[in-house]
Amino acid sequence: MVPLSALILLEHLANGIVVAAYYVMLALGLSIIFGMIGVINLAHGAFFALGAYAALVLKGAIGFAPALVISPILVAVLGMAIEALFLRPLYRGDPLLGLLFTFGLAMVMEQIIRIIWGAAGLPFDAPEALRGAVRMGEFAYSRYRLFMLGGAVASILGLWLFLEKTRFGTIIRAGSRDGEMVRLLGIGLKPVFTAVFGIGIALAAVAGVLTAPLAGVHPAMGTDVGTAAFVVVTIGGLGSFWGSVLAGLLVGEIVSLSILLWPPAAQASMYLLMAVVLLVRPRGLLGERWEKFE
Amino acid sequence: MSAAPSRGLAAVGRHPFTPLILLLLLLPHLITQVRATVTLATEILIFILLGLGFNVLLGYTGLVSFGHGAYFGLAAYAGSLVQIHLTGGVGLPILAGLLFGTGTGAVIGFLIMRKRGVYFALLTLAFTQMFFFIVYRWTAVTGGESGLGGVQRPAVRIPGVGLLNLGNAVVYYHFVLVVVLVGAYLIWRIVHSPFGRVLEAIRENEQRAIFVGYNTKAYKFTAFVISCAATSLAGILYALLIRFVYPETVHVNFSGEILAMTVVGGMRHFLGPAVGAGFFIFFRDFLSAYTENWLVVFGALFMLFILLSPEGICGLAERIAEWLGLGRGANYPAVPPRPAANPAPAGGPLGGAGGQAARQEPALVCRGLRKGFGALRAVDGVDLAVRGGALHSIIGPNGAGKTTLFNCVTALFPTDGGQVTFEGADVTRLPPHALVRRGLARSFQIISLFHSLPVFENVRIAVQARSRHRFSLVVWADDLADINAETWQLLDDLGLAEKAAMPADSLSHGDQRLLEIGIALATRPRLLLLDEPLAGLSAAERTRIAALIRRLAGRITVVLIEHDIDRVLALSDRLSVLHQGRLIAEGTPEEIQRNPEVQAAYLGGLRATPPVAGVPAARGDTPLLSVEGMHTYYGKSHILRGVSLEVFPGEVAALLGRNGVGKTTTLMSIMGTVPPESGRVRFRGELISRRPPEQIARLGIALVPQGRRIFPNLTVWENLALAARARGEGGWSADRVFDLFPALRTLRASRGDQLSGGERQMLAIGRALMTNADLLLLDEPFEGLAPAVIEVVVRALEQLRKHATLLLVEQNAQLALNLADRVYVLGNGVVEYSGPASDLAQNLDLRVKLLGV
Repeated sequence: MVPLSALILLEHLANGIVVAAYYVMLALGLSIIFGMIGVINLAHGAFFALGAYAALVLKGAIGFAPALVISPILVAVLGMAIEALFLRPLYRGDPLLGLLFTFGLAMVMEQIIRIIWGAAGLPFDAPEALRGAVRMGEFAYSRYRLFMLGGAVASILGLWLFLEKTRFGTIIRAGSRDGEMVRLLGIGLKPVFTAVFGIGIALAAVAGVLTAPLAGVHPAMGTDVGTAAFVVVTIGGLGSFWGSVLAGLLVGEIVSLSILLWPPAAQASMYLLMAVVLLVRPRGLLGERWEKFE
Repeated sequence: MSAAPSRGLAAVGRHPFTPLILLLLLLPHLITQVRATVTLATEILIFILLGLGFNVLLGYTGLVSFGHGAYFGLAAYAGSLVQIHLTGGVGLPILAGLLFGTGTGAVIGFLIMRKRGVYFALLTLAFTQMFFFIVYRWTAVTGGESGLGGVQRPAVRIPGVGLLNLGNAVVYYHFVLVVVLVGAYLIWRIVHSPFGRVLEAIRENEQRAIFVGYNTKAYKFTAFVISCAATSLAGILYALLIRFVYPETVHVNFSGEILAMTVVGGMRHFLGPAVGAGFFIFFRDFLSAYTENWLVVFGALFMLFILLSPEGICGLAERIAEWLGLGRGANYPAVPPRPAANPAPAGGPLGGAGGQAARQEPALVCRGLRKGFGALRAVDGVDLAVRGGALHSIIGPNGAGKTTLFNCVTALFPTDGGQVTFEGADVTRLPPHALVRRGLARSFQIISLFHSLPVFENVRIAVQARSRHRFSLVVWADDLADINAETWQLLDDLGLAEKAAMPADSLSHGDQRLLEIGIALATRPRLLLLDEPLAGLSAAERTRIAALIRRLAGRITVVLIEHDIDRVLALSDRLSVLHQGRLIAEGTPEEIQRNPEVQAAYLGGLRATPPVAGVPAARGDTPLLSVEGMHTYYGKSHILRGVSLEVFPGEVAALLGRNGVGKTTTLMSIMGTVPPESGRVRFRGELISRRPPEQIARLGIALVPQGRRIFPNLTVWENLALAARARGEGGWSADRVFDLFPALRTLRASRGDQLSGGERQMLAIGRALMTNADLLLLDEPFEGLAPAVIEVVVRALEQLRKHATLLLVEQNAQLALNLADRVYVLGNGVVEYSGPASDLAQNLDLRVKLLGV
């Protein structure tokens, strides 16, 4: 028989991976938006929350699985409209204006969620088919968490394939490093900017929908997760896809191990990790030198 | 900038503090008239202190913090805990809160001060979240979610005042009023002190501030700590006000409210944050009577200000006042008056009679200096000795490593190896600001000023860098008579005194260049490095600046990078020639002119290739590309002054000229990345001069840019595939490019940043071909290439002329003349010569006249 403590440790490690999965989804979205547009989207967490709330409404009408697809699309369309209408005029000015704008946006979105759905949290039930646990010998694990992990891994791999194997992905990678040169090759970047903003936000919304059944939805759910995603990007290194993945895993594991060992330090631990990484490797674990940000 | 500090009774009326104090004295009476309480008035006071302190960082230093709520909240907790568990009373808890909040701020500030811009902002945000979770989770000490109650406001005995019953709201209001006014006055002194002026200089241009001799990290750190101190004081006063501390004060949302409040009030005005604080508290109180979601309105308002008026309410009010004709309009802020008698010590760099004679011992010595960027060795073992008092120029083709050499000498970035000695001392490892203090100053290739500060302040801040008051927080910066006198003296010498009050950005390009040299001179250098001081200037301005440089030489040592060869030869005592990161010659102007190696560097190492014997390619009658009277500016710099040229289908046209005459700018203007101000550009008869670059490219023009600009994170194959545009049969494919440059085929899976210079150049050409353009613009395709690689590229271009029309920009005249059918020679922004390549190739006199070789 496996000792009880080992089972608990295993469970926490598995939970860490699940936590990591949605941190990584948020971090990757932030990272590609920042790489391409140069704006840190402080409203990223708010879009994460909005995705969850939209799915809450949609799943009543069309069921969980369609909501998982439709909600991120709707949220992304909203994000793209905001980018095209409001953010675009700020690109030419002081880069901090974009940061301040998305900050205000986050504030307003969270309040709007409060107005529409109330300040208290709401339950979000996992679909029937995904309730219960999967047993592997002694080890039992939540069926929904496994599903969520699968969804997250599929999204992350999907994004990677998209960036690496499609023409559009190549444009994004090239444009992140030298946007003007991409334009000189005859490729306009305005639609690419909008699309990248939309993709990043869709990822956040998917993460929001996937997370919702774990603890329900509440208006501030985006703030903490959004900040954690910045921490992941900072630890992993700006613009590095696998850096974000690695950092997300590290942060997820550290958070869930501290929950096991010393719960008060659960969230604070990741910031400590960030402080250490920044002191030792200022560009992050796998960060590259980017000419335009040096 | 605010007006100079007040003197005399009349000035008291105009002082911004006068209305503030009057209003705040009346506030408790006013506010109770509108159904609000004195507690609300006290809250406004506390937020005024918070905003003013925060703005030292945001408005004055230009650093955005999303984390100041942390210091507010931590101070509140620390002070309250000290009161509850240790001391009681009010004085010690306030002190404890202040010290704890400030101390924590100092630790965090130390950790993150190395970061800039967005990264800095994110780290402040992350740390405030860390503190939030600590406070939220550490229930035993902080009370966790439910907060910390039991804070008291006992009566205190103040010597000379008597017993203050702070429990009374009105008494506490006046107690806080005194604290806040003292705090505001200190902040007022600080922002007008030499230290505060350096903060503004850092906001405008940190690099320039470093290069007049300030250790900007120390200034930024101190500003951070000062803002944390004000925030902490506000925090503990707030805890005493509401007799309670709750964890949301540490949360990032509250930090954001501080930021929003300051921005909405106006971060460019001293009292802007006070206006914002009053507005924020009042607005919250007013709206929360109707809706608990008042933040949505405030957030929306904040977004509107960001989009429409980032200067906030104060900026908006100023604009409206100006529009109504009430404001100061076009008047500039006052600058300190010129002193009646001139106490400035004589002997500034431009003052007095002649200076030291040229000495024999070297002022600056470089030994084996090396610096590389990836595969490129920009400076490759340079040994250089500059004699004291000499005017020593460094010349060389584009990309030879001249600016990199300057950057290594002045420690703008670390060298890979070698040693720099200044006046006999090893200075290789010194940071740039320390070098400036030792007497080594520089100007920048791209003019670097404190943009929106007045001309006077631009120079004054540089003079101040030598003063013992440079880090002083208490003296008035404008009252330092020596510094003012010296600044006026220097402005007189430069001929800029009339424009002393104008913002630096509003000066003409020539005056900006003059001012930049003036800033460097204000540091009293004994060695001055000037990086292309004549670039982009008109002929008259060139003469003016050149005369100034000549006046300097002899008094101090001057090292000059300049492309205007005639002037360099006329001005310099000695010259060094840099080529591909190495010094290839050194001597007097006469020696350099006669040196065969120098001529080779400019002519290129390909004299072996015979000229392509007059095979004028099949040439159409109507031009493929025509440029008429094109004028282009970079900022204020008038680069192209009416360029006209035509390129006919099937020909190879070359655009020649010395460095810095506008060749690259011509190509960038055609492509639309630096759109021309006026003039017409037509491609196949279609007007393209107002179009964005991607549209121009799609019409069939491709650029092989200077510096290649290969995407470093894409493979060779991806670099090519990205550019591919379908075009029926006979189009270019990656395979055809690999046939042209077989070296690339084996590298197809290598990333761009792993390629050598030659491979990058081949790839850049291949990438342009993949667009199937009809016209190829090539910008210095041979720059920095080894002779063997030049051969490969030349062969390739000779094949290409069968498929496309080429416009070639090249410094290497001989190479270009071999390839081209027709030649344009650009001089100072206009086409000075056009004609068949063979004419120029055969007419040596003409070539020397036009190209200097």
